[in-house]
Amino acid sequence: MGVADMKIGKEGDQLVTHALGSCLGLMVYDPVIRIGGLLHAMLPLAKINEEKARTNPYMFVDVGVPELFHQLYDLGGQKNRLIVKAAGCGKPLGDNEAFRIGERNFTVLKKLLWKNNILLESEDVGGTFSRTVFFDLLTGRTTIRSNGQETEL
Amino acid sequence: MNEKDKKKIFSQVQNFPSMSGAAAKLLALLDDPDTTPGQIEEVVRYEPSLTANILKLSNSAYFGLPTKVGSVKQAIILLGWKRVTQVVMTSCVSALMAKPIVGYELPAGELWRHSIGVSIAAEMLVKELKLQSAHEVYTAALLHDLGKLILGSFVKSELSVIEAKAADGIAFDEAERLVLGMDHAEVGAEILKSWSLPAEVIEIVRWHHDPGRAVKPTVGIDIVHVANVLCLTMGIGIGREGLRVELSPMVTARLGLKPAVLEIVASQTLQWVDELRDMFKK
Repeated sequence: MGVADMKIGKEGDQLVTHALGSCLGLMVYDPVIRIGGLLHAMLPLAKINEEKARTNPYMFVDVGVPELFHQLYDLGGQKNRLIVKAAGCGKPLGDNEAFRIGERNFTVLKKLLWKNNILLESEDVGGTFSRTVFFDLLTGRTTIRSNGQETEL
Repeated sequence: MNEKDKKKIFSQVQNFPSMSGAAAKLLALLDDPDTTPGQIEEVVRYEPSLTANILKLSNSAYFGLPTKVGSVKQAIILLGWKRVTQVVMTSCVSALMAKPIVGYELPAGELWRHSIGVSIAAEMLVKELKLQSAHEVYTAALLHDLGKLILGSFVKSELSVIEAKAADGIAFDEAERLVLGMDHAEVGAEILKSWSLPAEVIEIVRWHHDPGRAVKPTVGIDIVHVANVLCLTMGIGIGREGLRVELSPMVTARLGLKPAVLEIVASQTLQWVDELRDMFKK
């Protein structure tokens, strides 16, 4: 799946997203009914381009994340069972306010989760590497490939 | 610094394929204000794939017009010289940049996607910042990473040394310079010199990572510098280099860059990039 995209899957599926730079990769899994969703959102807030947000809500963290949860609820996912993991949100070298897109993506995510009493199980965010996420919906296992290394999230 | 590598790199620059004959002829014609649409059509007539690409691009939403373009002549009249030059360059570069790039670990088509992404983002930035900028910005953005085509195999063979240097928190292009004696921006500029491209284009390519070292700072250099970093943060052509690029605070201050401008440009760029990429996939 590409940038500004979301996929929902079930047991037997593997969801993969490549090249997370400053974008947020969010993995949500219900281990009982074995369904999950992966969101690859690019920007923090939809208000920057509301027309785009209407045609593609997955571009933005503030509308894409609730959409992911709602779709999982519609399929029988239960909030108290959901396992939530985050990856991406990197930043170029140097300290530049305008380029803190990744940090802002992660901040908006944390606020949303906090408001809804949802905990983040684990995260691999920040830094200057590109990340690829492999999300296995049989086990909920999430693997991150980054700079030639693979780690489990 | 590795003098042996540098020598090998220069010899590859000398042996690098020249721009296609038709493209070179067209660019020369497009530079001449006395050229007629008929002359352009004459060159393109014998290049079926170039004709097809000119028509496809002219009918794309990004370059597009409200009326459907059916002939090259019509495309020239309706789009104008500047746009047609860009369309020709876009078409020529697509063939060159379609293959996977080793070393930088870019899969097939990704360097091309990054190149058009930076071109589109650069144009959008010029528009959003209400700047005066010459048409070479698009062409230079399209060609800014050409050097990776040569440097990739050198990066691959020295990857562990480059990674060790970059681990100290320096930019990837700086690590290239320290280990190989040259970075991809310099290699790209050397190729474009051998193609006899305009000096403005060469300068933008040469300094797109290091605008502070340009003798004469230009809006074009600043814009492509920022557009490149923006596309990398969006994951467009990010590869092994990652986000290990140094953003010049001088440039962002000079442009008065605000987060909102970057985000608007990012939100618009993605759609155009995917549209143009899909067009060339067929």
